[in-house]
Amino acid sequence: MKRSDGLQGTLDLLILKTLERGPQHGFGITLHVQDASEGLLRVEEGSLYPALHRLEREKLIQGEWRTTPNGRKARFYALTAAGKRRLAEAESNWGALSRGVQKVLRFA
Amino acid sequence: MRILDWLRRRRTREAEWRDEIQAHLEMRQEWNRAAGLAPDEARLEARRQFGSPLRAAEAIRAVYIRPWLDSLLQDLKYAVRGFRKSPAFSLVAVLTIAIGIGTSTAVFSVIDPLLFRRLPYPRDDRLVSLGYFGPVDSNEFNVVSSYLDWQRQQKPFVSLTSMRPAAECDWLSGESPQRLSCYNVEADFLATFGLTPAAGRDFTAADDRPGAPDVALISYRLWQRAFGADPGAMGRTVTIDDRPVRIVGVLPKSFEMPQLGDTDLLLPERLDASRPRSQNSSSFLRTFGRLRDGVSIEQARAQMLPLFEDSLNRDVPAELRSEARLVVRSLRDRQIHEVKLASWLLLGAVLGLLLAACANVANLLLARAAARQREMAMRAAIGAGRGRLVRQTLTESLLLGLAGGIAGCAAGWGLLRAFRHLAVEIMPRFGQARVDLRVLLFSLAASVAAAVLFGIVPALERPRAETLIAAGTARPRRTFFRKFLVSAQVAISLILLAGASLLLRSLFKLESQPMGFQPEHLTTATLTLPQRHYPSAAARTAFYNEIEERLQRIPGAGSFALSDSIPPRGAMGRPYSNMRIQGHPPLAANGGLVLFRWVTTGYFEAMRIPIVAGRAFREDERASGESPLVLSASLAHRMFGAENPIGRFVDLSSDGHWCPVVGVAADSKNNGLAVPPSPEYYRLRMKNVAPFPRDLVAIFRTSLDRATLERWVRRECQSVDPALPVTVSTMDERLDRYRDQPRFVAWLVTLFAALSLLLASIGLFGVLSFLIARETREIGIRMAIGARPADIAWAVQKSAATWTAIGVAIGLAGSFLLARAIRGLLFEVSPNDPLSLAVAVVVMVAVAALAALIPSWRASHVDPAIALRQE
Repeated sequence: MKRSDGLQGTLDLLILKTLERGPQHGFGITLHVQDASEGLLRVEEGSLYPALHRLEREKLIQGEWRTTPNGRKARFYALTAAGKRRLAEAESNWGALSRGVQKVLRFA
Repeated sequence: MRILDWLRRRRTREAEWRDEIQAHLEMRQEWNRAAGLAPDEARLEARRQFGSPLRAAEAIRAVYIRPWLDSLLQDLKYAVRGFRKSPAFSLVAVLTIAIGIGTSTAVFSVIDPLLFRRLPYPRDDRLVSLGYFGPVDSNEFNVVSSYLDWQRQQKPFVSLTSMRPAAECDWLSGESPQRLSCYNVEADFLATFGLTPAAGRDFTAADDRPGAPDVALISYRLWQRAFGADPGAMGRTVTIDDRPVRIVGVLPKSFEMPQLGDTDLLLPERLDASRPRSQNSSSFLRTFGRLRDGVSIEQARAQMLPLFEDSLNRDVPAELRSEARLVVRSLRDRQIHEVKLASWLLLGAVLGLLLAACANVANLLLARAAARQREMAMRAAIGAGRGRLVRQTLTESLLLGLAGGIAGCAAGWGLLRAFRHLAVEIMPRFGQARVDLRVLLFSLAASVAAAVLFGIVPALERPRAETLIAAGTARPRRTFFRKFLVSAQVAISLILLAGASLLLRSLFKLESQPMGFQPEHLTTATLTLPQRHYPSAAARTAFYNEIEERLQRIPGAGSFALSDSIPPRGAMGRPYSNMRIQGHPPLAANGGLVLFRWVTTGYFEAMRIPIVAGRAFREDERASGESPLVLSASLAHRMFGAENPIGRFVDLSSDGHWCPVVGVAADSKNNGLAVPPSPEYYRLRMKNVAPFPRDLVAIFRTSLDRATLERWVRRECQSVDPALPVTVSTMDERLDRYRDQPRFVAWLVTLFAALSLLLASIGLFGVLSFLIARETREIGIRMAIGARPADIAWAVQKSAATWTAIGVAIGLAGSFLLARAIRGLLFEVSPNDPLSLAVAVVVMVAVAALAALIPSWRASHVDPAIALRQE
């Protein structure tokens, strides 16, 4: 799909990758991306939710209301089978893309 | 139900998005607090990091809506492309819808102000008109003495108010006098209708007391015209009927009298309870009330009944009591009573036409669907979902419906303008008819409904895979439905035709009935005396004599007469039972009312009313002390039976004044055109007394054209009294006022019937052509094995005849129902009139046969050699 490249594709990839570890809510995804990238990446919170809903519409993830360990209601998203396939695909694309870009950068 | 569910789900989904965002904000806030921020700061920081929650929710919504919009756009593009590929089909379909929507729009714009639009009064549904109802008047009325009793004792109304019947007054502001329409109303008149003046103040109880200084409310229009909408007009004194009157207020811009119609001026009514009852009981009023909340019209009537019975016995002469009853009805009914049925008929007829148009378009679409079966099956085969295909087809229908709707609105606007050219006031409130937002919304709704109606069947057509493998076009199965549509069109057309032929026949009878006088070459001039210019009987007598003298001298005026009223109307009647014949026992009670006119000698000659016995009045009688009398034939028959009335003496109102009967005149229309004439007598206007009321009609039977005569009449009148308002009209124009509306309704229904017939024949032609094209091969085989062309043509005609016959059978049943429903609109035509129904059926069958002619001719000329090679 067209959307798997470019910046949008990056956000999708980050979301899918985060959810690979298990179901998580939006805020949890924000925190994880920030932690895992050691503060290098920050998800723009306002655009996270449209992205989550788009992925859900495309049946790559599945949302569900659950209670957090702190006793708060939040919508948790989990990867679907299709989401897992898309993640694998996107990871390899991304790998190829970043390797390519790296090479071009070094060559110059 | 489904739509409600869908809406509810949508609401909860949007709420969920907000909850989700809210949960995020709260978690972030806790996180921030844990990081050491103060509670307020934590909250603000959370908001800052998130950005606008509203915009986020908006973005989520876009995620769901965008694909839907995309596919809609795709459907639209596809539909437009399809229509451009078959322009003939598109044009016919759009035109057909435009006919349906156009006529519906025009008719709706005319009847909407009558049937549906709110009256220009707050809480208009609580307003009623009430009063006595009797043979005297076609609407309920009241008398002052009864009204005063009712007002004091009534319970069901918040308020009860009254006005005097129509009047005119002379307004002098500056140089030239003007004749205005004015009404005398009670002080709480506006308040009862829930209105307040646009400027200035309303009448007060003090204004309404007898002898109070004269004040007036002027109409918004008059305010603008005479004062340039200057607020300083309030308090100004003007001269009305030669008396100084102070203007205190301006009526609301959209003000309309409750019995319909405009007014220029309202004056206080000043009912006087101190006058003797006998005087107050002969002073007429119209009364209106505002019901208390929770009181129905029936309850109000029941509660008013004892008051009515009581005042009936006190105010109404015994001989009229049995014919009077209490009427309480909604203000809307009071206003549109006479045209309610006609309005519903027009609406029904035009919706019938719209339905016929829908059937036609559905038929076209089915034909097109049959041709597109392979395409649809192909799209299904490559993965288009069923829902998607249905949506695609419906999008096409909606597009057609809207295109036709837009063309129809334009057509409707044009049609309405055409109505306007036909007559000024065909229906009440006709002036208010226009294509406005409300009417456009109706047209839009009608277009969409029509689109769904004609689009639903083709849309549900299931694409079948076998059409992909079948050679040529496979047999479509929908011919049954298409035949049904043709039958339905025939049925609708027949019903409209039957209605049209009944109405036309009734119109013909109305127009060709004997009037009792000859309307050709009659021109009339109506004068109304400004009351206060002629206060004394002597002044009036002098005026009448002079005007008679002058009008008579107009060169070429032909026969001439003066009267106080003119057919097809009569003046106010008097009770029959009040009359006596010398030497006879008293006449029977309950004889209803007898009309009478004051006429001059030339009346019967000018009107060409035949004298059937005795003689007409003679000029020399006008100076004598006698009071000669001419009776109408029906009155003479009623009073004298077979006896000869000539030379007998009659006392007209039991006052001992005996009048000799000198002649009997044939009956002439005096109750409008639709009702048989009432009994009537004529009195001769004497030279030396002026019994005429303020209205005077000059009648000329002349070969002069109207404009010339009008110039003469005006000049003569001006030389007697320059302020005298004169209205000149021909008798035909007067009669048209009674004929315009039946004409309008009859011709409009006829137009709808003709259009519906056209559509039905197109439908029939279309289906037959389609079937023959499909069966060309079969016809070829039949001809090859010996069928003659005539057999083939006959077979086609026979199948057309079958569907037509089914349609005719259904249509006949519908026609009977329609005829019953419109019985009230028919004049001297029975609803079961066999001739009208026969004409309708014959026209329908003939047109159907004609429509089948070309297809059957084509079928009989199929060349077997070519047909068999076709594969």
